[in-house]
Amino acid sequence: MRSTKIKIGVAGAAVSLLALMLAGWATGARTTTTAAPIGSGKASATKSVCGLGTGKKATGKAIKIGGIGMLIPGVDFTTIGKVAKAYFDCVNDNGGINGRPVQYILYNEQLNPAQQAALARKLVESDKVVGIVGNTSFTECGTNWKYYKSKGFTVIGAGVQAECFGTPVFVETNMGPRYSNIGAAQALVRAGAKSLVVASPSTIAAYADGGVLKVAEKAGIPSKSLPVTLPVTDANTIIQQLYQAAGPGGGIILDFTPDTAPALMKAAIAQGLVDKVKWGSSTPIANTFMAGQFPEFDGKLYINSEFGLLDASQGPDTRLMLAVLKKYTKIDPQAFAQMGFMAGQFATQALLNVKGEVTAKSYNRAVRALKNVKTDMLCKPWYVGNALPYHIPSNWDITVDYKDGKVVLKEKCFAIQAVDKELAQTRVWEKKYKLNTGG
Amino acid sequence: MHSVVGFAIFGVDWEFFKPYIVLGLALGGVYALSGVGLVVLYQATGVLNVAFGAIGAAGALIAYWMINHTSWPHWLAYVTCVAFGGVVNLVYGLVFGPAFAARDPLVKMMGTLGLALILLGLMAWRAPVGGAFARFLPLPSSSHTFELFGAFMNWTQVIALGLAVALTAGTTAFLRLTNLGTAMRGLANNREITGMLGVPVRRVEAAAWFGSGLVAGAAGLILPDLITSLDYSALTFLVIAALAAALIGRLRSLWVTMAGGLAVGLAQAIFAPYASLTRYRSAAPFVLAIIALLWLSRRRVVTITRTAR
Repeated sequence: MRSTKIKIGVAGAAVSLLALMLAGWATGARTTTTAAPIGSGKASATKSVCGLGTGKKATGKAIKIGGIGMLIPGVDFTTIGKVAKAYFDCVNDNGGINGRPVQYILYNEQLNPAQQAALARKLVESDKVVGIVGNTSFTECGTNWKYYKSKGFTVIGAGVQAECFGTPVFVETNMGPRYSNIGAAQALVRAGAKSLVVASPSTIAAYADGGVLKVAEKAGIPSKSLPVTLPVTDANTIIQQLYQAAGPGGGIILDFTPDTAPALMKAAIAQGLVDKVKWGSSTPIANTFMAGQFPEFDGKLYINSEFGLLDASQGPDTRLMLAVLKKYTKIDPQAFAQMGFMAGQFATQALLNVKGEVTAKSYNRAVRALKNVKTDMLCKPWYVGNALPYHIPSNWDITVDYKDGKVVLKEKCFAIQAVDKELAQTRVWEKKYKLNTGG
Repeated sequence: MHSVVGFAIFGVDWEFFKPYIVLGLALGGVYALSGVGLVVLYQATGVLNVAFGAIGAAGALIAYWMINHTSWPHWLAYVTCVAFGGVVNLVYGLVFGPAFAARDPLVKMMGTLGLALILLGLMAWRAPVGGAFARFLPLPSSSHTFELFGAFMNWTQVIALGLAVALTAGTTAFLRLTNLGTAMRGLANNREITGMLGVPVRRVEAAAWFGSGLVAGAAGLILPDLITSLDYSALTFLVIAALAAALIGRLRSLWVTMAGGLAVGLAQAIFAPYASLTRYRSAAPFVLAIIALLWLSRRRVVTITRTAR
């Protein structure tokens, strides 16, 4: 009897404590305002709007668009789809697609090919989406590209693996880790790095790191790829390994998302290595949160940024994205938000270009016709380019750095070195078909 | 690139090795700490608690929230983290312990897997990862550093190692010298007979659950500082290394478990300079556990008999 009372007492106290902690843990929802819809008005050189920009809610029959985002320990790629949805929400508050709202369906996958294949089929065959937008994964492009091709879909997303940039169905708003790492390597070579060492997640390292090794070879300096298994549990060891491979004065490129990169950067600080090598990175850590966390790296980073600065002065598209993020999401400004915003924006442009009924066939035909799409988030206009066998529409970058808690420009737009024949061929097509020249 | 000169081990310069040994021992200290916590609970209750890492991670997230979203003193957050581990483990033990008491060890372990998944779900819900954001839970001890064999050590790493040794020594003494410890050892030998001798089984088990939970909370507090970020998935899956340490100790010996934890940390670190081995570092806990189990059972005689019907 006594032990039962003690048990009940302990359990009661514990439940109260847990409830208190969980309640406190809650970060609180953001308040929404009832002000006039953002993204409304007339589009101009200084103003970007959501879709038609009417300021009126779309009420017709929904047009379904779908997406698949990867979510695994250590990496969350669902941000891209979530921001694409935020843009569609803004479009829906501004007249939709000629009065019809966009219903965006986003599924998560965990690097399981069977799950990836099933979700693609669910979207196309069960949900009856007309288009696929915002997909981002380490492996989904490889799993599903043949299926999407068989169904006549052209996917606007953000790519990671080789198939995202080497098959006809994917047209990414980003250039992916391989080309971004090449950009970082170019910046480090220009800065006088004596060697190049690149570390990517082991799942993608074979593709993502290969370009850096080619850049080093052309520059006549030694290089090495050291894949890292996620999640990182021994950052100090990994950072020592990278330093020993690079040697003093060498260059180290970290190719990780903000879920993982901070552990390695903290370890570099703890091990006193910040000033011993030159530090490069691919795009994902170019954001103010990271800049604020790592003042030790101020002026010492060569981050290849695939997109413009996350600053309102960048231009009207960036201003609109910042407003959309604030109103429709809890997501902080970041590179993944830029990818998702552009995916939503380009898909909306295709939807609005459709003449007649919006079907999977008419929408995907409109997607393939996109070219010279201007945005202040990219160095050059974006395009799809119809029947190209593969697409690398984003292939110019900037280099950024951290300074006083902000991301600042270090090098203006430059062309990613065409060490791969695919990129060299892409530039030939761009000229031949006037894909991004404004013509 | 560095040239390999001087005293070399299988082609790698000794100078390269030294920082890895220091870093490996520091990480191994926490594996040892966690492994000892697992073994104590297993000895007293027969439960291999795979939620150990998730409990520590949840406690660490609560401490993170207290430090970053309240004006409460930091020490209170640290205490809460450790206490959270004890309380969650105790509640689980009180509620599910009796129900699972007579079941197979595998069933008991699967129960704790359920707890781990629930905690992971809660953490993913309330503290999602991703985007332009990461959490850190630095301890004051990590701001004090010193150089040792080419690697920078901080006092958190020293504390992790020291705590592992202290916990092992303290638990060994506790099990041998106190009535509660004797009762726990009795439970480990035979739960029913110990109960028949008048030992309050449930209360002794509750003490084991609580004590083991405190260790989970302590590991959860120290690990984010050691692995340099508060990644709850990484913390949750660190239980794998602790399990390997516990298996090396055959779920019995605290000192061998401690040595196993240190060995796992060390192996993971010293594989790093070898290009051919570095990608297999994450497999080190399993490989070491298998080698240790084969070695420890090398003189066992397997007898196969046929029962007459």
